[in-house]
Amino acid sequence: MAKLMATILLTLLITALPAQATPWSSLDSQQLEQKLTEKFAEGKYSPKGADSCLMCHKKSPKVMAIFDGVHGDMSSSKSPMAGMQCEACHGPQGKHNRGGKEPMISFGADSKLPAESQNSVCQGCHNDPKQMAWHNSTHNLEEVACADCHQIHAAKDPVLDRLMVNDTCTSCHTRAKADMNKRSSHPMKWDQMTCIDCHSPHGSMTESALIKPSLNETCAECHADKRGPFLWEHAPVMEDCSNCHTAHGSVNEALLKTRVPQLCQQCHADDGHASRVATQAGQDAFSAGKSCLNCHSKVHGSNHPAGSNFAR
Amino acid sequence: MRSTKLFSLNLITLALFGTATGAMAADFGVQRANTESLKTANYQCKRCVITDGYSGTVGASVGVIDADDDHAINQLGTGTDGAIAGVNADMAYQQSGYRAKVQAHQLGMDNGFINIEAGKSELYQLDMDFQTITTNQYSNAQTNLWHNNGMLTPSEHTRELNLDLQRQRGGIGFEYDFSALTELGLSSYARFDREDKTGHRSASLMSPSPVNFAEPVDETTDKFSAGIVLDGDNWLSELSYHGSRYENNISDLSLPYSYDVYSATPDNQAHQVSLSGQYRLASSVFSGRVVSGRMIQDQELVQMSGNPIQNWDGQVDTFSSNLAASTRVSSRLRLGASYDYNKRDNRSSVFDFAQYEYDSMSGAFKQNTPMDIERQTFKANASYRLASGYRLQAGYDYKQVERSYGEREETQDSEVWSKLNIRAIDKLTLDFGLSYGERGGSDYQANELTSDETDSLMRKYHLADRNRTEVNARASYTPLEWLTVDVSTYYANDDYDATEIGLTQAKDYGYDANIHLQVSKPLSVYAFAGQQWIDSDQSGDQSAIWHTEIRDQFINLGLGATYSGLMEDRLTLGMDYLFANSESNTGVSPSNEASYGAYYSYSHSMSLYGQYMISPQMALKLAYQYERYFDTDSAMVTADSNSGLITLGEINHNYNAHQLMLTFSYKLL
Repeated sequence: MAKLMATILLTLLITALPAQATPWSSLDSQQLEQKLTEKFAEGKYSPKGADSCLMCHKKSPKVMAIFDGVHGDMSSSKSPMAGMQCEACHGPQGKHNRGGKEPMISFGADSKLPAESQNSVCQGCHNDPKQMAWHNSTHNLEEVACADCHQIHAAKDPVLDRLMVNDTCTSCHTRAKADMNKRSSHPMKWDQMTCIDCHSPHGSMTESALIKPSLNETCAECHADKRGPFLWEHAPVMEDCSNCHTAHGSVNEALLKTRVPQLCQQCHADDGHASRVATQAGQDAFSAGKSCLNCHSKVHGSNHPAGSNFAR
Repeated sequence: MRSTKLFSLNLITLALFGTATGAMAADFGVQRANTESLKTANYQCKRCVITDGYSGTVGASVGVIDADDDHAINQLGTGTDGAIAGVNADMAYQQSGYRAKVQAHQLGMDNGFINIEAGKSELYQLDMDFQTITTNQYSNAQTNLWHNNGMLTPSEHTRELNLDLQRQRGGIGFEYDFSALTELGLSSYARFDREDKTGHRSASLMSPSPVNFAEPVDETTDKFSAGIVLDGDNWLSELSYHGSRYENNISDLSLPYSYDVYSATPDNQAHQVSLSGQYRLASSVFSGRVVSGRMIQDQELVQMSGNPIQNWDGQVDTFSSNLAASTRVSSRLRLGASYDYNKRDNRSSVFDFAQYEYDSMSGAFKQNTPMDIERQTFKANASYRLASGYRLQAGYDYKQVERSYGEREETQDSEVWSKLNIRAIDKLTLDFGLSYGERGGSDYQANELTSDETDSLMRKYHLADRNRTEVNARASYTPLEWLTVDVSTYYANDDYDATEIGLTQAKDYGYDANIHLQVSKPLSVYAFAGQQWIDSDQSGDQSAIWHTEIRDQFINLGLGATYSGLMEDRLTLGMDYLFANSESNTGVSPSNEASYGAYYSYSHSMSLYGQYMISPQMALKLAYQYERYFDTDSAMVTADSNSGLITLGEINHNYNAHQLMLTFSYKLL
């Protein structure tokens, strides 16, 4: 036990001490970007490509993991390793290897390089329809870097794993993570559904980066039975599913914003019927069971000729 | 020669330096590289590693579940009471540009999937998917209506069944890249998906008084999409088609004494053609999309007196277009704007149909109302770097909606918002946001189709005047390399200032806090807590005005740890605990009742696991999961406790569930 405590304390001490500073760690974000821009323009690439880099970096498992994934594949002409190799992404070596005094383009949380500049490296190759709306996306405006979600030095980019998508998104979107544990939610907890079933993380031309041209069409991807057209349409349903439902989770059943009958009564108030005051749940046919839906069960639309009030 | 080279480089440097500090952000894209001195012919890559062959893991899980309630499938995600088994795999194979991947997760359990991909780099890829998703709404629903082939037969014997739904999804997709053949940036894709959904869900019919029943579900949705993508140096375009066909295999439902009392959800189809593109010009990017769609339905209608047609031709045409631009004006300032137009044109045929009133023909006829809706949205935003590490964003969003047959033909939403991002403080990031929005529009009126139904003071909340205020803040603090703390909070207030009857106010506020500690290399610990409150007030009018206050609350707590340093790093131990409590309290005034009734749920989830590396290739994981789940809804009463209503019984949940699972995995080396 004492040994364990000593190990923990020692580890705490070591990790608490600042890591050895690089010669360029004193540069601020702008200065670093300027320095790298100059280096990039000079284009002093190494004489031996990856061999030049790996002379020092071969001991790093993280660096060597590039060869496990597609970016380290030498048989694909589009892979960086088949062309300019490490320097395709990290920029020309310049004098970096001479005492390590020059910075290289680096990525991820520890990089001081602005996200937009980091992303320019990735976008140099990756510009496909998935990224078509990136420029106006919230992630771009919030300066999220590709490397904040994606890992290149890995056999498999974890975020491309269906079982890792929700964890990656909710590491920032904490409120959405909490919503998954509400009384009703989509089946996200065990990854049966993932965030990208509805949202495009690279942005889209629809509100909230939804994957389809409208919110209702996004919902209809899985709920095609609610799509219609119906002979009798319920106006708020046709207009916007989120008028009544909150997609990320609700303390009410069926992802409803408010329980019934109160939800229905926020719009319906005919004298003597819809506007009846329900003072206790379960006490009559109006407040028990499915409440308003005991009779008006076809709230998403009815196809019965006599179904104008959604009762059939 | 040497001096010339230096001179030319300096010019390039100066030019790029100028653009970097001017309008352009640094662009390190590989095509912008200065490759004059690049000699890839000399690259030997002696230190590179070729990883051709198989890699990844395969394995299997077996387990046992002890649960009092089949609802536990939602909480455990694997199955219901009894034994469970499934196959897992995460394998890859690559050889000379050919690649294949297989991922399987709990394949064979009630929730599981498999995905297979194979192809040749830069040429083609084939992928196949299969997934099952099972969810349970209620267990042990009680009904005396037994369904068989469209007939709901009343029985003396009460049937108990689960209201659960299972989706089985299968898909196949193919992508082909013509770039290598045509020297054009041309690629294509096609994909087909089918989903079968079966089970039962809660529903209700009128016979003539309401009877809740278990509606059988058996439906199929097919989706097909195909597209071509064409791109050049600074542009990109995509032309695509998306089709979806929904087919309900359950017909209209009848009672022996009342035919077609419950109409089936009609089959429908939706088709869409989309053209989208992006163009990049210096530091500006433009994108646009045009989508034309059609949704159709021509299901046979229930035949009854007062129905003039056999089939109804339902057709809705949709059109949407979007144009967006973003430009970096200087290294400090970035501007963006977008315009969106969306139209839903309901071209369905219109007829008069006789309507029932309390199940006797009242003689009243009603005409179906094909509702049209037209939306326009305009958004503008600016991002300005005040100083190094300080960025201010601001924007204006405007949305206009026009609708036919509504109480309010036109609504306009305007919102201004601003965010401040601070990255200048060491180890601390701060984000603040605030917004204010107003909704107004044309006169709110009960039109001829709705005036006899709606209280003149009612303002439906999605159409009503509304002022919305929202503030939020987030801080992320990393005081030590091994410690991260994130805190966020938000407050939003919707004030429906012109509403007397209906929703008058809604507040939504809460916080989330997360802490992560990498205590030592093998030991990591996390904890989180979050609470949310949603307070809404509404009024109704039944001879006198009544008020209802609804107070929703949610709390979520979590704690977990992983220790991977035991038995020479062969053994990893971990635990996770999660508590969630959802509650909604309703207060009505005036009321003679002591309370409206309970409506809450809570769950405790605890998992303990240990993974032991038998060898560098083989691992064994033993995981135990405990779930305590409780929910109650005072609206759920015994089947016949109210005259004039038959329910599905007191289908609340109150159970303990245990799951023990052993997983073996084998690593391919």
